[in-house]
Amino acid sequence: MVETGHFALVLALALSMVQAIVPIAGSHRNDARLMAVGGPAAVTAFALVAVSFAALVVAYAQSDFSVLNVVENSHSQKPFIYKLTGAWGNHEGSMLLWVLILTFFGALVAAFGRNLPPTLKANVIAVQGMIGVAFLLFIVLTSNPFTRLLPAPMEGQDLNPVLQDIGLAIHPPLLYLGYVGFSVCFAFAVAALIEGRIDAAWARWVRPWTLAAWMFLTGGIAMGSYWAYYELGWGGYWFWDPVENASFMPWLAGTALLHSAIVMEKRSALKIWTLLLAILTFSLSLLGTFLVRSGVLTSVHAFATDPTRGVFILGILVIFIGGSLTLFALRAQSLTAGGLFQPISREGALVLNNLFLTTATATVFVGTLYPLFVEAVFGDKISVGAPFFNLTFGPLMLPLLAIVPFGPLLAWKRGDLAGAGQRLLAAFGAALLTVLAVLLFVDSASVLAALGTGLAVWVMLGAVTDLALKAGWPRVSAAVGVRRLAGLPRSVFGTALAHFGLGVTLLGIVGVGAFEQEAIHSSKPGDRIEIAGYALTFQGINQVAGPNYVEDQGHFALSRGDAALGTIMSSKRLYTARGMPTTEAGIRTLGVSQLYVSLGDPGEDGSIVVRVWWKPLVTLIWGGALAMMIAGAISLSDRRLRVGAPSKRWKQPTVVAAE
Amino acid sequence: MTRKQKRLAVIGGGIGFLALATALVFVALGQQASYFFMPADLKAATLAPGQRIRLGGLVEKGTVVRGQGTEVTFAVTDTEESVKVVYAGILPDLFREEQGVITEGSFGTDGVFRADSVLAKHDETYMPKEVADGLKEKGVWNPN
Amino acid sequence: MFFWVSAILLTIGAVLAVLAPLTRKPGSAEPAASHDLEVYRDQLAEVEREVERGTLDSTEADQARIEIQRRILGLAGDPGAGPAGGKGGFARMAGAAAVLSVPLVAWGVYGMLGSPDVPSQPLQARLEADPADATVDELVARAEAHLATNPEDGRGWDVIAPVYLRLGRAEDSVRAYATANRLLGPSATRESGLGEALATTTGGVVGEEAVAAFERAVALEPGHAKSLFYLATADAQRNLLDSAERRWAALLGQLPADSAWRMPTERALTEVRAEIAKAAVPGPTAEDVDAAAAMSEADRGAMIEGMVAQLDAKLRENPNDGPGWRRLVRSYVVMGRRDDAQEALKRGLAALDGGEADELANLAVSLGLSVEQ
Repeated sequence: MVETGHFALVLALALSMVQAIVPIAGSHRNDARLMAVGGPAAVTAFALVAVSFAALVVAYAQSDFSVLNVVENSHSQKPFIYKLTGAWGNHEGSMLLWVLILTFFGALVAAFGRNLPPTLKANVIAVQGMIGVAFLLFIVLTSNPFTRLLPAPMEGQDLNPVLQDIGLAIHPPLLYLGYVGFSVCFAFAVAALIEGRIDAAWARWVRPWTLAAWMFLTGGIAMGSYWAYYELGWGGYWFWDPVENASFMPWLAGTALLHSAIVMEKRSALKIWTLLLAILTFSLSLLGTFLVRSGVLTSVHAFATDPTRGVFILGILVIFIGGSLTLFALRAQSLTAGGLFQPISREGALVLNNLFLTTATATVFVGTLYPLFVEAVFGDKISVGAPFFNLTFGPLMLPLLAIVPFGPLLAWKRGDLAGAGQRLLAAFGAALLTVLAVLLFVDSASVLAALGTGLAVWVMLGAVTDLALKAGWPRVSAAVGVRRLAGLPRSVFGTALAHFGLGVTLLGIVGVGAFEQEAIHSSKPGDRIEIAGYALTFQGINQVAGPNYVEDQGHFALSRGDAALGTIMSSKRLYTARGMPTTEAGIRTLGVSQLYVSLGDPGEDGSIVVRVWWKPLVTLIWGGALAMMIAGAISLSDRRLRVGAPSKRWKQPTVVAAE
Repeated sequence: MTRKQKRLAVIGGGIGFLALATALVFVALGQQASYFFMPADLKAATLAPGQRIRLGGLVEKGTVVRGQGTEVTFAVTDTEESVKVVYAGILPDLFREEQGVITEGSFGTDGVFRADSVLAKHDETYMPKEVADGLKEKGVWNPN
Repeated sequence: MFFWVSAILLTIGAVLAVLAPLTRKPGSAEPAASHDLEVYRDQLAEVEREVERGTLDSTEADQARIEIQRRILGLAGDPGAGPAGGKGGFARMAGAAAVLSVPLVAWGVYGMLGSPDVPSQPLQARLEADPADATVDELVARAEAHLATNPEDGRGWDVIAPVYLRLGRAEDSVRAYATANRLLGPSATRESGLGEALATTTGGVVGEEAVAAFERAVALEPGHAKSLFYLATADAQRNLLDSAERRWAALLGQLPADSAWRMPTERALTEVRAEIAKAAVPGPTAEDVDAAAAMSEADRGAMIEGMVAQLDAKLRENPNDGPGWRRLVRSYVVMGRRDDAQEALKRGLAALDGGEADELANLAVSLGLSVEQ
């Protein structure tokens, strides 16, 4: 089974080479037979990589210690679910997952692209094939998960305990679905540039892919953030860690792409923006892969690193980014200009949106890579952390968030800013009231915190206003309004919900940032810790043995006033195979806020350091992201986004060639 | 405004916007980037009082003292020099004697380094890259 | 076999995926323009829907209609032909090359990287395989897997305990003996095994716990030779040489002629009598050993290390000491310092001659060290 998987992987490489070359040659010579090779090749390559991946998962499930990768990352006593997820909890396996998803998208294009013009389809599949070849070569030559180890040892070295968590089952696959999903947009952009023409239908085909990729990336980032929050034991949800930035940059660029693609579909404008953003987004995904896999940056994602891998991925990066940008420079001029528009219009607002988002991407880019640059040029080692991003990224995001509610209210071509402002008065008034209320009624609230809360409310109510106006309120009666609301296209709901979700996330960030409370106590059993009106009574510690670890569990009785609210358990685990400790925070959700309890080191006198945080509104951060994900799914289900085939009426008569 | 003027205004606005963003980035980098030092580098360095730096090295054996309450003191060494560090808070899980560590903070007037964050990396065999490079330069650490 | 069959099937499938579209007649294809037309017609319909909903007023709608219609007119000038079927030699050549390249590249690359002859080795299957073919490690792992699922199997613990000790896993041996004792009830053999394992964890020093175990063994079976021998050793280590001498002498008196304990007892007796004669102070004092028993794990380790270092130093000054070398080599092995053990062995063999050297070599072999001739 192991060797079958290995062989299937190599076979997928061979097939991807065919997929990368033959269809593009066919489109060049206008040969339908050669072009037709792309589809089946893409589907079969996916099937082969799936066989390969399944073989690796089976090897993990069966603890086959004749496979080096299994020895290095598994253990016979590990819970079964973590044996499975361990298959992609390491460098080699995660790259295989990456390629699995890449070929999956290639197969999807082949399967659902029946209505694509054949040359476009052939070129898209060929570009996907090229990416596949590059990464399959990378796996086979530098990161082969099927390397054997003989004689096989009887026990493995276990998986990094931090990764032994259900988060690992969800976070990387979601993230990769996002990263790699943008490869389809990239392939479409490059295909359009190769052909030198960009159809009206092009944007229609690109939009759903962008939406799907963006949706998964949003989920992947949010999941990763929540995982870090509860697993690392210091209660942070975002660290501006290089690897987080690496996933955040494609998200920012992808968000801009999503908005550009709408303009392009509706108005045939912003072609250059859309193409450039499609290339940029996937390039940033590749850059993210490079940063994580090469280990050039110090990061919490410290997989084993290897210089040859870094050089290899750097090569891939240079070829794909350099190649696509060169093609862009050569061909972009030949694209016909699209619809014209006034600066104040929906298009204008979306251009402004793109400008803000790409500039924000650039600041994150600089902050992430500047230390590398300084070290390479001056030899100094510096680090750029949260203060830098707060000072640059923050000021860019605030005006953008402030204008978000205006966008959907402006008409295409020529908009009425004053009119839009008038219709947003109610939302603005409510936001202003919120600011005042926070200043008056919340102790310790700074002006900044109040303004932040107001901004979040403004964004949320702006989305609600948009929906209400589209339903005809307040001009029509409630009943008519509801009926019209039900008749609105789903993508309208998607837009409103996504913007609403953005506001929700912002509210969570402001809540934690401004109103968080923290208490550190050196505690003995019986001690009380008071925080945010709650009281925690330390009850003591007992030792418990898990399947592959032992843990010290600290128990705390939670109460508010006289009401007992149960107990919170926080623990420190020691994973025996690697002798590695982890902190398992005790988290209690109270409404949308959370109490977060973390155990520190025992002192000499039998006490233990206990750190407690009150994190107000913290769950909204991920709740908002979830809303954005759902919004993406709603938009994706919109009938209008499904590209129909040209109807029979317009179809050319089929000429059956006599052979 | 003619169309040409309008276009110029848009382009001008865009450039102004980018210039502003660039200026912001440079100011922030100048102020917020913190330099990395190992204990022996500090002799040659001139630090403004209160300047934030990152101090990296190995946790010197036998220097970890858990003081009153939540305060911990330890010494960071690169085997040539060592610096006393005071930190209030919970040490990371992988904080151990003779293991690599990076602390971030600034020097007080008493010459003691007050850290507000202490990083020890997740992987047992992993040495923070800066520390590993620094130690390799001094020839005192050789992975395998 | 499974591999070859599956590999051939996969290859055939991959080749067919390339071959099939090349031989099939290409289906009719829409020129790109007709796709654009479809989009524009959808856009017109969308304008109508928005007018109906009232989100677009009539002038805006008219403008939008005019713009879309202009785009449709633009299409008229671009008839756009659909692609033709394969033609000419190039297509045939390219197709053939593509079809052939798949198996060639795949088998070529796999031939360089793969290990087709190595079967999968799921842990469960390895554990269930014929014991006769298994290595010691595999047998132990199998027993461990069995005990992990049946932790109440006292016989199993009883069997694995001495194996652990032989493999140098003294701590595991202690645990196994203790568990077996708990499940099966104490016996002289198990108690003495426990004592031996305990003594091994402390580098050969028979500490208080070990002494207690041996004493329990003797209580269960008064003449138990191994336990009596170790009790005497404990006395000798505590520098209670007279008591040790009495115990060994008594033991020698009760041992049957063919007992395996006869030789060691005789040698120990000779040694201890020589020691008494010299009134020298070998090894740790009684206080040292008592202190060791009371110490924490880490401190005990440090103390043992100190003692071994002392012994090492002593042997450097006075190398003609067979039992000393044996103790040093064994201590190093128990402490996991095999390199030091090897080095000590070399020095010892160089310093000793005759029977003492042979004995040291035999010990080394039994400990798994390599002995150069």
